Amino acid sequence: MVRFLLTRLLHGLAVVWVVITLTFVFMRLAPGGPFDRERRLPPEVLANIAAKYHLDEPWLRQYGRYLLGIARGDLGPSYKYVDRGVSDIVAETFPVSALLGVLALGFAVAFSFPLAISAAYYRNSWIDRSCLFLATLGISLPHFILGALLIWLFSLQLGWLQPGRWEDLTSTVLPTITLGAAPAAYLSYLLRSSLVESLEEDYVRTARAKGLREATVLFKHALNNSLIPTLTVLGPLSAALITGSFVVEYIFAIPGMGRFFITAVTDRDYPMIMGVTLVYTGLLVSANFFVDLLYSIVDPRIKSH
Amino acid sequence: MLKQPRKSAIPSIPALITFFLLSSCNPFSQTGDLKTFRVNLGTEPPSLDWSLATDHASFNVIANLMVGLTEFDKNLKPAAVIAKSWDILDGGRRIVFHLRDDVLWSDGKKVQAQDFEYSWKRLLNPKTASEYAYILFDILNAEEYNQGKIDSPELVGVKASDDRTLEVHLKHPASYFLSITTFEVTYPQRQDLIERYGSKWTEPGNIVTNGPFLLSSWKHENEIQLTANPDFFLGKPAIDKVEMFMINEKTTAVAMYEQGRLDFIDNQSIPIFEKPRMAKLPGFKAVPQLRGYYYGFVTDRRPFDDVRVRKAFSMAIDRSIFPKILHGGERPATSWIPPTMLAQNPKIGLNYNPPEARRLLREAGYPDGKDFPQVTLAYNTLEDHKTVAEAVQGMWKRNLGVLVRLENQEWKVYLKKLKTDPPHIYRSGWGADYPDPDNFMKLFTSLSGNNDTRWKNPRYDQLLESAAREFDEKRRIRLYNEAQRILCETDVPIMPLFTTTEHTVLNPRFTGLEFNSMARLFLREVRPASR
Repeated sequence: MVRFLLTRLLHGLAVVWVVITLTFVFMRLAPGGPFDRERRLPPEVLANIAAKYHLDEPWLRQYGRYLLGIARGDLGPSYKYVDRGVSDIVAETFPVSALLGVLALGFAVAFSFPLAISAAYYRNSWIDRSCLFLATLGISLPHFILGALLIWLFSLQLGWLQPGRWEDLTSTVLPTITLGAAPAAYLSYLLRSSLVESLEEDYVRTARAKGLREATVLFKHALNNSLIPTLTVLGPLSAALITGSFVVEYIFAIPGMGRFFITAVTDRDYPMIMGVTLVYTGLLVSANFFVDLLYSIVDPRIKSH
Repeated sequence: MLKQPRKSAIPSIPALITFFLLSSCNPFSQTGDLKTFRVNLGTEPPSLDWSLATDHASFNVIANLMVGLTEFDKNLKPAAVIAKSWDILDGGRRIVFHLRDDVLWSDGKKVQAQDFEYSWKRLLNPKTASEYAYILFDILNAEEYNQGKIDSPELVGVKASDDRTLEVHLKHPASYFLSITTFEVTYPQRQDLIERYGSKWTEPGNIVTNGPFLLSSWKHENEIQLTANPDFFLGKPAIDKVEMFMINEKTTAVAMYEQGRLDFIDNQSIPIFEKPRMAKLPGFKAVPQLRGYYYGFVTDRRPFDDVRVRKAFSMAIDRSIFPKILHGGERPATSWIPPTMLAQNPKIGLNYNPPEARRLLREAGYPDGKDFPQVTLAYNTLEDHKTVAEAVQGMWKRNLGVLVRLENQEWKVYLKKLKTDPPHIYRSGWGADYPDPDNFMKLFTSLSGNNDTRWKNPRYDQLLESAAREFDEKRRIRLYNEAQRILCETDVPIMPLFTTTEHTVLNPRFTGLEFNSMARLFLREVRPASR
């Protein structure tokens, strides 16, 4: 087990390193720099800025400087938010995105499990078809349409909730639903189809023949064995959800990290791009690591492989 | 073949959201008390350090926290604030500012001339790496200090001769220099605090200011709160508190305004499709801006190396179409200096004249556009720019028989391309840093880094230099008139298209808000409207 964990950890670190290196190179290859403006800066002013951020050094040295910084836990200064470090910005915005992500994930799980179970159990009935319709709707509605619809209904028509900003519990409702709808639908699909498969397996028939209660057959035998595909997507899904969504944060004016995945690139704010990429990769790697751990609990055969 | 401009995802979001929100206007609910005023900054201010700030969001916060030597009066002329008077000496090479002695920092200390000297030298210090350092390059040895050619800040021509007197030595007479002292980057700073707190000196608790409001909280990416400064030397503002939100999405901001959760919105918060509806609301105001929108010709690329072709292209544009397609109150322009600025002259420039345009094109060897080479008009990816480009493309096809290829690029890629591989015609714009024609006209001098047209005219350069040294307004206007005629009538390296307008809506429960032609928001005089 220890060896399994160590190998996984080393794999993870290698992935993080490769992503950092590739991001560093691609970022510099993209045309246009962080200080290219409509209002062109005189060369001497640009030279001072380049010197301040070591942009006048060779790439390799900048790369080395960056890696050393990471080792010290310093993600460098933001070129746009000039008084703040990337670490500060991530520390302030990540918890907001993470909270929203956890809420959305909770919403997705809470919504998808009952939906998928009832759809699979009553397959081909009107219940199944209604669940399928809901899931298709959830997957195909883009964030910005769903967000706008929710604002229109709950803020402007009914006046129940505020259209934007992250203030109290009620302000989390609309963004949570907007962000959680697509994963909820996706998880329902996935779980339903694997549950339908399981319900037709011999061991389920055997369990029923043995006279076990229907609930035990469904939840203990069938559901348990249908969880693997769902767990597989839950890892990357969690990483994606808790690092924030540009569109949802943009529409609802949420002070999260998601917006930086886009704005850092359009601003060519190199350290910020590296920072959010690093956080995302780190989370993705850790989430997959935990999913691997969970596999071995759900299905002990995996550990022995 | 025409290249279809790529559609960006972001501009289409407001369009779709607007579609849903359009018919859904709730009656104005009025939440919030009359002592708190709420505005939308649109985005997190990148910096509240006025030596490093470069954008509207930052300056709109700073402008309510601080005052400087001068500020704009209603006619955009510098009016005394901390400077109670000034003397212009040695033919304009030396300016001596006499300071009031009743302006206090929020920690009770008096604002002194030394605070200005420190701030200006900090702006110029190469280690500060300020983008706006060049704004003070007219000062003796300022540029050399910023370039690192001289190490000693003592040699820079700004000096506090005592607590109340600031002396400025210029390299050459500059009639616009007083206008520069209205700009936030020249506001005073406290050396003791900046040295104590480093880059964190602008955080609440550390920052010390001298203006109508104090920074009481700053939740990054979310909200800034200001409270009225009871010791402000012009009197405590009527409202106790200002809340500045950072809502990026315009339709969300409009919804917040309609729910009574915002008291003021501007272009930052009004989607283009909502403009006609907003214009009917009480408290609506259209504020013309000192911001010009133009197309430039790259004058060393065939066929635009021929001035007749440039003139023909400029004369084939009916500029009255822009306010109709952009719905933003745009003012068509054939000359470059924007309305309300000194020396603005709408009579200058080439008017819409298709027969004359065709004649010029024929004379240049392209009758009815025959044998005209393939040329490209480039713009950065944005819905408005696309709308303008397509309209202009249509007019050139109709009036000249020339089909111009359109090309759009992401902003930073576009800026890079203008320098390395410029298209035949490019889109650009300019907003005033300070309300003086020098700031607009200097763009197209031979040495200007902003002159992507590659056009040079020594007479134009000379006229601008003379105008900068001239203190008599009438003579200055004459000089700028001649320069504008070269720019927009005889040489035509650019075609000005229009100047922009900001649409603003103020909650009718309040009055006294000032939103000026440089999109600066002043909340000092905001008070409840009398019933």
